[in-house]
Amino acid sequence: MNADPVAPSFSFEIFERIKPDEYFRRFIEENVRPDGRSLHAFRPTSIRQGAISTANGSAMVRIGGTTVICGIKAEVAEPRIDRPKDGYLVPNVELAPICSANFRPGPPSEQAQINAETINHVVETCQILDLSELCIEEGKAVWTLYADIVCINYDGNILDASLLALICALKDLSLPKATVLPSSIVQADSSEKTRPLQLRRLPVSSTFCVFSNPKVTLSDPNDSEESLSKKIVSIILDTEGTILYVHKSGGSVCDPEMMKDCFTKARARASMLKELIERVIV
Amino acid sequence: MDRKRVNGPELSVVPVEEHTEEKQILDSKERRLDGRGIDDIRPIFMKSGLISQANGSTYMEFGNAKVVCAVYGPRQMKKPSFTGKGVLNCEIKFATFSCKKRRAFQRDAQEKEFSQILVQALTPAVRLDLLPKSSIDVYVNVLENDGTSSTLAAAISAASVALADAGIEMYDQVAASSIAYVQNKILMDPSALEEESEDGSLVVSYMPSLNEITHILQNGNTESAIANKAVEQCIDACSKIYSVMSTVLLQSLDTSDK
Repeated sequence: MNADPVAPSFSFEIFERIKPDEYFRRFIEENVRPDGRSLHAFRPTSIRQGAISTANGSAMVRIGGTTVICGIKAEVAEPRIDRPKDGYLVPNVELAPICSANFRPGPPSEQAQINAETINHVVETCQILDLSELCIEEGKAVWTLYADIVCINYDGNILDASLLALICALKDLSLPKATVLPSSIVQADSSEKTRPLQLRRLPVSSTFCVFSNPKVTLSDPNDSEESLSKKIVSIILDTEGTILYVHKSGGSVCDPEMMKDCFTKARARASMLKELIERVIV
Repeated sequence: MDRKRVNGPELSVVPVEEHTEEKQILDSKERRLDGRGIDDIRPIFMKSGLISQANGSTYMEFGNAKVVCAVYGPRQMKKPSFTGKGVLNCEIKFATFSCKKRRAFQRDAQEKEFSQILVQALTPAVRLDLLPKSSIDVYVNVLENDGTSSTLAAAISAASVALADAGIEMYDQVAASSIAYVQNKILMDPSALEEESEDGSLVVSYMPSLNEITHILQNGNTESAIANKAVEQCIDACSKIYSVMSTVLLQSLDTSDK
């Protein structure tokens, strides 16, 4: 028997399945990723605003294969006693089983909760939006914006996509003109719209995946790259370059040079997305 | 209180709309508000294979109604047990922003009912006897609801195309269409606005090549003569939808060859 260890019928798909690390490493050694991108390339990104007419504001964002839709529904609520003028912004992320075989039906997975919490944290602490713009009548009624981000196709890097979708949906938002009647019922007139919300800053997230062997960082990891390395670095900057949020997960260490490198790339990405947002959103 | 999500204020309500003048659904020439005649369906847009993670998928627009459907499987059942036939699981979810009033995250009774209808409408077409011990999971996400019965019809047609796109063997495609009974008239493919003044509705799922009906759902009351006519009209519309579905599947074959 002259068994050839690498038979000609040995297909790359089988190789990828049984030895994903080795398969991936051989690509990286050639400075290219399995999907054909260079190590630092982000996937093509597109934005579509206002596709859903039942929502007060909506946007669809695609980063490569990852597709998310953010729809905002506005309802009226009583303001908090300590903040009589401020409205509410309630972001949530849904990673339903439709978007990947790895998600199960039921309550939100840990990953969905972490993403929603991160976005909520960024929105709250960085004051993207002046919540007093959502006031209808001080101490009586304010708008509550339920921003629900639904993932349709999960191919990695959900944080970048969902934050971008939220920002674009907020820019698309138009609220009806509302008044509080003497009977303390809020009446809305949808024929008259209030002016669009002013966003104080545009946060843009950039995510990187860190590999220790070989030592590389990959921009905008897709699903298979994310599953090979749990070391994810997410940097949220606004379009002026101010750092709003930095998160590094995973056990292995990441040297300062590498972090610096990530910041440079995140800046470049932020200015690229700024152009895209300005082009798409009039 | 949902501990696994970001919560807003305890109570929030939809503001009351200022009273607007009642619009007539049909004008004197039997034209509808969007310019359609009473037995016209809305334009359909369909594309398959958009969800790369799924085995098969479809995006469908029925006028303003938008649904996405993904099929995962055939794959091993969650609880390993022996069944001679495969199991078809369907789940419909309305996105929270898809309706006039915001919907909850949790599955409500209507979503459970629709999921069941989807199973009943599709099962006769799928050759489950070829897939023992496995399950096929069909997930439908409604992004925009413009008429509940026409959205259900869109979900059934989209799921059928997604099943074919996943390469699952079927006897035939299932096309579905809906009508609304308004003042003893039959309105084809009703929109949300028309549904508000309907007396009843009918959804028919139909396999055009086999000439078999897989599911009928009739709500509200109407005379039997009108109901018979409505079923005939639905079957006609299903044949039209079927031609779109076939074209989409052929196109998806073209692109995957390249």
